[in-house]
Amino acid sequence: MMAMIAEKLNGAKSIPNEINDVVKQSVINTFESISGTAPDCIDMNGENEPLNGIIGNIAVFNTEHTLSLMLAIPKDTALNLSEIFIGMQIPFESDDMGDLVGEVSNILAGEVAANIEKIGFRGQSSLPTATRGSDLTLFMPNKPPTTKMKFSGPNGEFWLNMALSESK
Amino acid sequence: MSKVKALVVDDSKIMRSAVKRALDQLMIADFEYIEAMDGQDALEKFDEGGIEIMFVDWNMPKMTGVEFSQEIRKKEGMQHIPIIMVTAEKSMGKVDKALNEGGANEYITKPFTADKMSSTISRYFDDEGKVKTGGEEDGEEKKSFFKSILKS
Repeated sequence: MMAMIAEKLNGAKSIPNEINDVVKQSVINTFESISGTAPDCIDMNGENEPLNGIIGNIAVFNTEHTLSLMLAIPKDTALNLSEIFIGMQIPFESDDMGDLVGEVSNILAGEVAANIEKIGFRGQSSLPTATRGSDLTLFMPNKPPTTKMKFSGPNGEFWLNMALSESK
Repeated sequence: MSKVKALVVDDSKIMRSAVKRALDQLMIADFEYIEAMDGQDALEKFDEGGIEIMFVDWNMPKMTGVEFSQEIRKKEGMQHIPIIMVTAEKSMGKVDKALNEGGANEYITKPFTADKMSSTISRYFDDEGKVKTGGEEDGEEKKSFFKSILKS
């Protein structure tokens, strides 16, 4: 299994479905464990509008491949998450909000790393970063294989962008 | 009830607050919190003395939680001070590494609830809210328990 997934990842034009499925389930598990309710993965309907919110960035990587995870959270969803996570809304413009989204990304990466190991990708998590702003558009230089998923739950909508690259 | 000096180590201020809030909700002891942002910072705070129990994240800049735990266990007389790993890392390999290589006593995955915290750490406190010490047998017993999980 380990060799099989590694072979699939080498020179892949798209992210293998096994990985997409594992990451999708990991997102659902993560947000269910935080809020108590599982979000649904919903149809993107081709939308690609700029984000007014905050993006949590983290990677799960090994010596051969890096899976970059970008959790795009609109402002209202972020405010709702803060209320669930620490029991009160924290100002969107505060450092604490970046800290919170970084921590949610960290929890997601831990879940992804644990689940993806079961299909043969043994990796570790990087430290998270967060980017806040309005009219945020995500660019993927060099056009790596990517997957974009949209989720909707009781706390609002959010997106998960994933890119696969070779570790250098 | 005398205060229990607890070292809370996490690079996320939000998570340090979450750990403190969960511990306060338990009401098993009256805690005095010392906070550290990474393993290196934690070592300096630990060396100031008086720490009785530690809650330690894994992934941190400068020095990881496992490296910090290893440093603590090397110190004379610090083999039994309770170290609770509180981390997003949840693969069995990581649990094994934290408990066996890092010398942690317990492993709590994020996000956690006060109930989860309670069921994990209450055994380290007596009825008067003091930290139980000299738990070599307890520690070995716990590691055996986790090893059995890892094998199954």
